[in-house]
Parts: sequence; C-alpha cells; structure tokens
Amino acid sequence: MPEENVNKQAQAGQNPKDEEPRIGVYVCNCGGNIGDVVKCDMVAQTLGKLPNVTVAHSNMFMCSDPGQKMIADDIKEKGINRVVIGACSIFLHEQTFRRTLERAGLNPYLYYHVGLREQVSWVHHGTPKEATEKSIRMMAAGIAKARNMKPLEPVRLPAHRHALVIGGGVAGLRSALDLARRGLQVTLVEKSHYLGGRMAQWERVFPTNEEARPLLKRLIDQVLAEPNITIHTGAQVAGAKGYVGNYTVTIRQQPRGVRGTFPNEQGVMDVCPIKQRCEFNYGLSTRKAIYRPYKECVPEGLVIDWEHCTKCGECVQVAPEGMINLEEEAHEFTVEVGAVVLATGFQPYEPFYGEMGWKEYPEVITLPQLHRLLDDEGPSDGKFYWNGHPVRNVALIHCVGSRQVEGVHRAQMDGEVNNYCSRVCCTASLSMASLIRQKAPDAKIYEIYEDIRAYGRWHEDYYTRASKNNVTFLRYYAEEIPEVRRADEKAENPLLVKVRDHLTWGEEIEIPVDLVVLSVGMMPNPVQDLMEIFKVTPGSDRFLLEVHPKLRPVETAVNGVVLAGTAQGPMNIQESCAAASAAAAKVSALIEQAKVELEPYVAHVDPDQCQGSGECVKVCPQEEAIELKTFSENGRTFQRAVVTPANCNGCGVCVSVCPNRALDVQGWRLDEYEAMVEAIAADIPAWEGAA
Amino acid sequence: MPTEHIKVDALVVGGGIAGMQTALDLGDQGYQVALVERQSSIGGKMIDLSKVFPTLDCCSCITTPKMSATAHHDNINLLTYSEIESINRNGNGFTVQVTKKPRYVREDDCTGCRSCELVCPLEVSEDEHEFGRTSHRIVYVPFSTAVPQKAVVDIDNCIFCGKCIQACPSDAIDFTQQPEPVEIETRSIVLATGFETTPIDAKKEYGAGKLRNVISGMMMERLLAPTGPYGRVLRPSDGKMPASIAYVQCAGSRDQTLGVTYCSRVCCMYAIKQAMLLSGALPLAEITIYYMDIRTFGKGYEQFYQNAKAMGVEFLKGKVARITEDADQNPIVRVELIDEFGKTRVTERQHDLVVLSVGLLPGGNPQAKFGVPVGEDGFIQVPDYNVFPAVTSQPGIFVTGTALGPMDIVDSIMMAGAAASATASYLESSNGSGKEAQSQPERSVEYA
Amino acid sequence: MTTTMEAKKKRTEMLVEMRKEHRDTVQKAQELLKAQQSTRKVLERALTGGPHSVPQLAQAVNMPAHEVLWHVAGMKKYGIVAEAGTDESGDYYLYRLTKEAA
Repeated sequence: MPEENVNKQAQAGQNPKDEEPRIGVYVCNCGGNIGDVVKCDMVAQTLGKLPNVTVAHSNMFMCSDPGQKMIADDIKEKGINRVVIGACSIFLHEQTFRRTLERAGLNPYLYYHVGLREQVSWVHHGTPKEATEKSIRMMAAGIAKARNMKPLEPVRLPAHRHALVIGGGVAGLRSALDLARRGLQVTLVEKSHYLGGRMAQWERVFPTNEEARPLLKRLIDQVLAEPNITIHTGAQVAGAKGYVGNYTVTIRQQPRGVRGTFPNEQGVMDVCPIKQRCEFNYGLSTRKAIYRPYKECVPEGLVIDWEHCTKCGECVQVAPEGMINLEEEAHEFTVEVGAVVLATGFQPYEPFYGEMGWKEYPEVITLPQLHRLLDDEGPSDGKFYWNGHPVRNVALIHCVGSRQVEGVHRAQMDGEVNNYCSRVCCTASLSMASLIRQKAPDAKIYEIYEDIRAYGRWHEDYYTRASKNNVTFLRYYAEEIPEVRRADEKAENPLLVKVRDHLTWGEEIEIPVDLVVLSVGMMPNPVQDLMEIFKVTPGSDRFLLEVHPKLRPVETAVNGVVLAGTAQGPMNIQESCAAASAAAAKVSALIEQAKVELEPYVAHVDPDQCQGSGECVKVCPQEEAIELKTFSENGRTFQRAVVTPANCNGCGVCVSVCPNRALDVQGWRLDEYEAMVEAIAADIPAWEGAA
Repeated sequence: MPTEHIKVDALVVGGGIAGMQTALDLGDQGYQVALVERQSSIGGKMIDLSKVFPTLDCCSCITTPKMSATAHHDNINLLTYSEIESINRNGNGFTVQVTKKPRYVREDDCTGCRSCELVCPLEVSEDEHEFGRTSHRIVYVPFSTAVPQKAVVDIDNCIFCGKCIQACPSDAIDFTQQPEPVEIETRSIVLATGFETTPIDAKKEYGAGKLRNVISGMMMERLLAPTGPYGRVLRPSDGKMPASIAYVQCAGSRDQTLGVTYCSRVCCMYAIKQAMLLSGALPLAEITIYYMDIRTFGKGYEQFYQNAKAMGVEFLKGKVARITEDADQNPIVRVELIDEFGKTRVTERQHDLVVLSVGLLPGGNPQAKFGVPVGEDGFIQVPDYNVFPAVTSQPGIFVTGTALGPMDIVDSIMMAGAAASATASYLESSNGSGKEAQSQPERSVEYA
Repeated sequence: MTTTMEAKKKRTEMLVEMRKEHRDTVQKAQELLKAQQSTRKVLERALTGGPHSVPQLAQAVNMPAHEVLWHVAGMKKYGIVAEAGTDESGDYYLYRLTKEAA
C-alpha cells in the first residue's frame, strides 16, 4: 500500500469543521417482524427528541424503494448528514442502505445500523414494553455514535483477473468454463489425478437418462479447448494469503509418475504386484498400484498410487523408456488470483458396520455401488449379477444417512446425526429401479422409503414408471429403521429385510432378497484444511455455509471466496451446474473490472500521538499489517507506526496496547464507543406507554 | 409518436425474482441490460408472499431491496407496464418491438404521493395484487412497495370525474396518453417469464372455486402478509378468525386428471411455512396438512419440516377426495387416511378454512412469442438440461427461473446466476461483438 | 387568472371528450359507483350506532357477509373504518368508523 494513499485516508477521516450533525433516524417495522413486538412509531417519536436528531420516522419496510426514497429525500431536502436505521440484521441490508446514501450524495459510511430484529423483536417477543425500551436505548447509542462519525473511503486495490477453482468435478468444470468464456484467467486444481469427480462414477444421470461419462466428456472437452484455463490434477491447495482481488495461493502437486500415454499400458498394469481396492468402483473391484481409474478418463494416462507403490520397478521394465519415473517428487508453486471458487464436492454417506447389514453381509451394497454394478464398463460388465448369480430380488432402502433422527440413528464423529434430506437419492433410486427392470425384466424390486421426493422436472415420471414397472413400494417411518438379517441357510434368498409398512396396515413384513441397496445420502468432502486456509465455515449440516440463501446464495462470509455445487449442500447434476454458473457470475462481477474495494474498518495511526513504542507491531496477529518506519523531519529522526490497510483486519488489538492512544480503528473509534456506552446507560426520554 | 430506441447487450423478459436477479448479475458484470415487465411494478410473484422459507425472512425484506437495486442500477434500463410485441433476428442480435402501455399518469412527474388515490370515488376488486379479495381505487399506486412507485389509472372503470387531476400536486395525470412504441436492439434475450398458479376452480372435486372458504396458497400468502387485504387472517365468507385450518397438498400437481403429472416442488414447503406462520398469528388454531409425500428436499428444509411437526402441526397422509361445505360455509374434507398404525379409513373432517396447495403452471407463452420449444409440461425445454440448463435451442436466447419448470426462490436465484453466466459467455463469444479483445480465438457458440 | 380559467376550461373539455370516447365503460362505472356509494352509506350509517362485526353488519344491512367483508376491507384500507377489538366470542373483529370518517 503506497503511503500517500494512507495519508489520503487520514484526510478523508477529517470531519468538516463547521458541519453540525443533522441525524436522520429511521425505525423499520420489517413488515411485522419488528413491528409486531416493538412499537416502532413510539421509538421514532421518542428518539426525535434527542439532540441533533433532525427527523425520526418509522416505516413498514425501510429497505423498499419508497423507504429508501424517504432517506434520500431527507438527505437532499432536510440536510441530513448522518443516518441511523433500526431494522433487520446488518448482514441483510448494510449494502442496501449504503447505496441509498451514496445515491443521495452522502458518504455511505455516515450510517449506523441497529439490529432491532435479531437483537430485540425475535428474542423478546413476549415482552413488548421492554423490547420497545431496549430498542430506544440501542438506537440512542447508535445516535450517539452517529454524532461522532466521520466520512470514510473504502480501500481500493487492483485485483487479479484470475480465479482459482478448487475441485475438478462437474461443478468446478462448469465454473471454470463460464469464467474462462467471460474472459478471465482460470486455474483449476483437482486433488485426484483425473477430472470429472463423482459424476464419472454414475452410470447415467436423471432426468435425461443420458450416460454420465459421455455427457461429462463433452463438458471436459469444452474446458480443455479453453486457452484461459490451466488445469492441475493431483494438486491441492497448501496455503493461501491475501484478500479478495489479491490472493497468493500455494499449490502442492503430486507427480503422476507416468509421462503421457503409450501402447502397452495394460501390460504395465499387469506386471504390478500390488492389488488395491478400486475407489472408482467403490471397492467392487481391485486395481494395481499403477492404474487408470477408468477407460476414458482425462487426463488419459496411467498414474501411480504412491501410498501403495513399493517402487519394485517391474512396471519400469515393461514400459517404453522414460515413460515411468518412480523418483518423481511432489512440487509446490504459487498462483496469484483474485477470487476462489470452492467446488470441493461430496462423498457418499458411509454406513456404520452393521447398519442395515452393511459390511456384515456381502449382499448389502450402496446406491453408488449399484451404479458401478449396472455400468457396462463396471466390474460385472453391466450384468445385474451378484456373487456370480443373477439378482432376482432386490430391495432399495431410502434415507440411509439422511433425515436421521436424534436418539434413533447413530451420530457421526461430531456427535450430530444427518438430519437433512440428501435431495437426489429418491429419484436416483427410482431411475436405478428403471434400469434394473431393463436388465432383469423378472426381478422383484422393492423401494423401501419414507417419502418419495421426486420433486424436479421429469422426476415424477420415474415414480410413475416404477409403479407401472411393478416396483413394490413400502413406506417406513424414521423411528422404525428396517432390519436386514441373514436368512436360513436353506432359504432361496440369502437376506431378509424386515420392515413395518405403513402403506398396508402398518404390518410387519419380511422380504427375502438377494441384494440390498442402501440409498445413501450425501456428506460434504472433508475440507477442514481448506476451511482453515480460507477461513470459511460450515453450517450445522457440515456443508459449507453461504451468507444468505436468497440474498447472497453462493458467497461465503469471506469476500472473494464463493461456493459451487455440492460443497454447499446436496444437489443433482443440473442444480450443481446452475450453482456453479451462478458462482462464476459472482466472481466475474467481483474481479472483472480488475479492481476491488475493501472495508475501511482498519487501524489508523494518529501521527501526532504516536511515539514509536512498537507495542502495536508486537501484538498484531496479521502479517505485514502494521510496522515501524523511520522518518526524518527538521534534522530529527524518529519512528512511527504505519498501517497497511489491505493487510489489516481491523481486530483492534493494537488499539488496546498503544500507550499513547495513538491508534484507533476507523469507523469504530474509542470515542465513538464511549459515546455509545454512555448513551446506553443514560436516562432515556420519557415515552408514551413506558409506565 | 416517435419510437424510442434502446440498445443493450441483453434483454431480460420478466421482472420477477429470476428476471431481476439475472438483470442484476448481468448489470454487475458491466453489461447493458433492458428489463421488460408486463405489470405496473416489478417484483413478480415473490412480492406477493408473506415470509419465505426456510429462513422466515419477511419476503419484502428480500424482494424490495432487489427491486430497488434493479431500478437504480446504472446498467439496467427498466420498462414496466410494457408488452413485447414482436422479435426479429437481426444479424447476431435481435430487434424487439415493445409497447409501453399508458398508465394515464406521466411517470416522470408522478411522485407516488397517492393524493389522487385518496380522492378517487370508486373502488373495484380486480386488484391483481390482492387476488380480487379487496379493492383498489381507479387511480392507484399498485402497492406500498411498488417499483416504480407511480400511480396507474384503471381506465376501463374510470368515470373521468377529474378529481384526481385536481388533487395531483405535480399535474401528472394525463388521460390522453397513448401506447408508446419502444424498439430494443439487443444482442441476447433472457426469458424469465415465470409461472402461474393452478386456478382455484380447476378441480370440481374441490368445489370448483365456488366454496368461499376454500382458498389458494397464494391467497393465504396475502392474508399472512402485513400488507394483506385484512391485515390479519380472516376467512373470506364472513371474516371469522379460523380456528381450524386444513391444507390440501398436490391440489393441481401430480394429478393426471388435470394433465399436470409433475410435482410443483414448492407446495410442501410453503404449506409448512404458512402452517408455522399461522401458529404464530392464530395461536389457538389447529392446523392439518393432508399430503401424499412430504418433499422437503432443500438446504435446511427437512429440519424446517421437523420443527413444524414439533410445533404441533398435524400431518396426515392421505389424498383428499372431495371438499364440500355445510350450511355455515364450513368446508368439509373427505379424505382417505392412513393412520399411524397404517389403518386406512375414509373420513370427513370439518374445518373453518381450507387452503389448496395449488401448483405451478407455465407463465406466458414463450413458445409462440420467442420460438423456443416447450416440453409436454409446457415449460421451456432446453437441449442440455443437466449441464447447460439456461441455454435454449435458439442461439442468443436463454431461460431462467420458473420458465424452466417449477422451482423455489433459492433455486430461481441460482438459475438467475446461471443464466447471467451463460449470457455473458455468449456475449463474449459472438462474432466481433465481444466487449473487449479476447485472448482466445474466434469461436462459434457450441451450444447443444 | 385567465390562464387558470382557460386551463380549467380545457380540462373540462378534455374530460367531456374522454367520457364520450369511453362511453360504454363510463356508463358501467357510473352505475357501479352509484351502487357502491349507497352501500357504503348504509354501512357507515350502521356503524354510527357503534362497532360491529362482519356478521353483525351483514344482518344489520341485510347483505351477504362476504360482500360486507369486501367493503369493510376497502374501507379499512382507505381509513374509513378501523378495528375495535373482537366480539364476545373472540371469533370476529369489530369495526368502527374512524374519527375522520365520523
């Protein structure tokens, strides 16, 4: 940050000397959200009596256009130069009202927002009189602050027209494609060694019944054709510093160990002595330590599983010279980006041992495994066989790992059950029932469900088709989990599913089956490391949390870090793509102009008071936010603290240790706090209804 | 009258939540946008709602700031009360003829002060915003948060008494106003034509709209909204505060007899939300929801459903076969119930008020006007629904929100972002019309 | 002064012209207005006797309750009536004339 800019900021902080505060006070009913509890007109009336308050109004919706116009008119016509609004939360509408002030020609920071909804009406709905009094006090404090407020300017910085997309699944690919086509540079990193994520593992996708991999391949081809996109597979983010517009991200890339493709790949894999569980087939088959996840994968070459490779060198012998390098090392590099898209995806819920027979009986599989099983390129070449025998009876049990009930289902490691709906499993199960019917026309198919949630366009058709296809539906309640147990040895079918069916008299029914498919829900991929690096937070369902589902649906609380796809919550392919595109639109709006604005709430040094003690530098938790610099003036050399606003997060620790009270956080100065505390404790003007 | 000419990068058709958000997402990226809305205010269906699930934010608090932002955006040209007449492909873009309907009030002069409305002598009940249950005067500002906040004259009910002219402080009333033609030259079009709800008289088993105390979910939204017709929940037959309210789910969805086989996706959640709001507005009221499947699939929705159950809302699985009424106009619901022991029985239950959870039908006629194909369900059909959901088969024409099928507000807003991205991609790629030099070679658009 | 007179005259001419042009709808609207004004008068008269609920008003003026409700809603919207608590049963709100209307 150049110093002249800092000085300019200091100047901006000067209060025009002859400007008497003329405060406009506005109390919002929030359409009853506040007004049903707090007597808003009374609050406005009472506050109107305070010194410097020029106007005080209440209104049904301050945030509406007429509400905003009222403020703008008061600024223009009544010379209002400070605005205090009592309304919903600052997260909802701070930006809205700042823009109102700006349009009316007033510095947008000469406005203070009092949260009358979360902090008053929602928590004191039983005591309207006290709630009204609390509102008056809180707003009186806001008015006290407003008297002392000074105009501020946001910190304006250049931004990289370059985005980092983390995750090479369908959402990440889709985001990257939109960003690149918009003219931004994109770096896409994917943890695994191939693109496509979970979508590559589906046999087909609803509601179009397209085969998943050809559909995915078309998208990947478009991504590969974009010169603005740089792709790194086997790569993970190792660290990041900076802020919106200016992130420096460190990426650690694992080597493939294999350079390009060559004719004898199968022979190379054959000689590898190591057998491992094949993740691509969800453990239904094995692969070698040098392998290719699936036939058409991109990038198409082989890759080495370093965790299990013993470096025996057998593969090197068989491969053309120079193609395999077992000594290749991981390497790190950095990229400079303006924004980050988190498209880190989901993982299927992993049932506990014994949960509806999982792992206890080999005839219990999950829905993703069923996809692999029915895939022509899968472990059984698409035949509906299990253990070498055709499957004649199959039960699909819904809501495994979703819609769980506390006290009924076993909690995850964090002590919480998955009380959310995973959204895709119902239609996914029904579409699989349809496919099973094609492959095994005589099979008995049971869908054991709680509610059929075929909500999306064309989803209901799968439900109708299943009924026409003689699929038997049984409905259970979450409190009565179906039981899966081993049948007698002599029995024709190895398993029995016991379920209380609420579609037929609540009878307890035992169904003999060859295969049980657990329609498992979605859990977010574990991204604890990324959450720490980018300071983003999960919601109570552990998925990454957006700021507001309608106002800012893809943004996180960290400016410049946005969400795409199932990292945010369960979604199907169409929804993931829409969300990913929405994320791209947000990123484009943010950095397309190659500049960003940061909040001015940063530390500010009063050069007349600073004695250069350096206490602030010692306690500052941020890197390069405050430092001592040497100045000379009239032959005298001295040190003063200097703030780099872009690196300061306004925490105020420096303010608390400064022995000379030379520091303050702009917009939250100590004198403002003092005035607020005094106003809260002061007697409030008498108001009608107070008695 | 000389034709006004507007030249933009994108024309958004429809000023509901999806259209507004698309316009904002394009405007924020620096594109010039025209938004054409048929009604006299933007805000669409969303502005009619009370509170929104699952956050229970007051709906106005989410919608009105977006309306305001749309109206004041430097890059957005807003045309309300305007109809699209024709669309012609013109090289890489389109020439669109629009008619601005006369408000009989000069927009530039009207301040929205309502002086005219207060002196107007006649009230009629065709107020779309209140669904015919309450009145508006002949000259009126559509609703308190309308954007633009301008009066409009219902000319077909006007007696031309001239009182409004006298009352208007800014001399804005003008009965001689004529329709104004506007020509929009645009490089792309985004269809945000939205939805309609199942008409209340669609199903004769449910009273064919003749039972006064059988209302639609949208009407209940108005009753629950602070700006609603009565300011409270009163039943339409006699103004009684209902003590027993029932919801009939899938009233217009998943119903072969109506030719609507699909799920309307929002009805479960809006019924549950209304049930929760009703428990607050009428603490003693008993609320029952008759349903087939509860589809609370979105983020935080299942937890919302469980909360409603815990609050005492009664959920009964069963399809309502018929609704009749008794001598006091209390609706009687005949339903085949499956009780908690799984027993099925046909029963009749009397309620004070019944709400039909009506479904979503396609709005407008996008096929006729824009030449985009629609599916069997009447919603716009796109060639690559999964990966490029916003891209229609007509180059340069995109789709967003419920024009693409029923969806809730969260999903509509996501779709709006998707449509904005798809449009931006197209604008940057079309021949020689990209805003700035591209580093990539010229390409034709590869959609579908 | 003359200009005001002229403007007034011009306005009257315009209104006459408009009424001619919209003859059919104006006639219908005038009939509607007449009926509405007489109904409102009857309702207002009933309310001068004190607050009424919708069914009470319906009985007093011999009109279907749903129509009364429609009028009451409109009168409330334009500040002619206001709520005055509930009746004894607690099932219905009472409405009174506002000070301005009275």
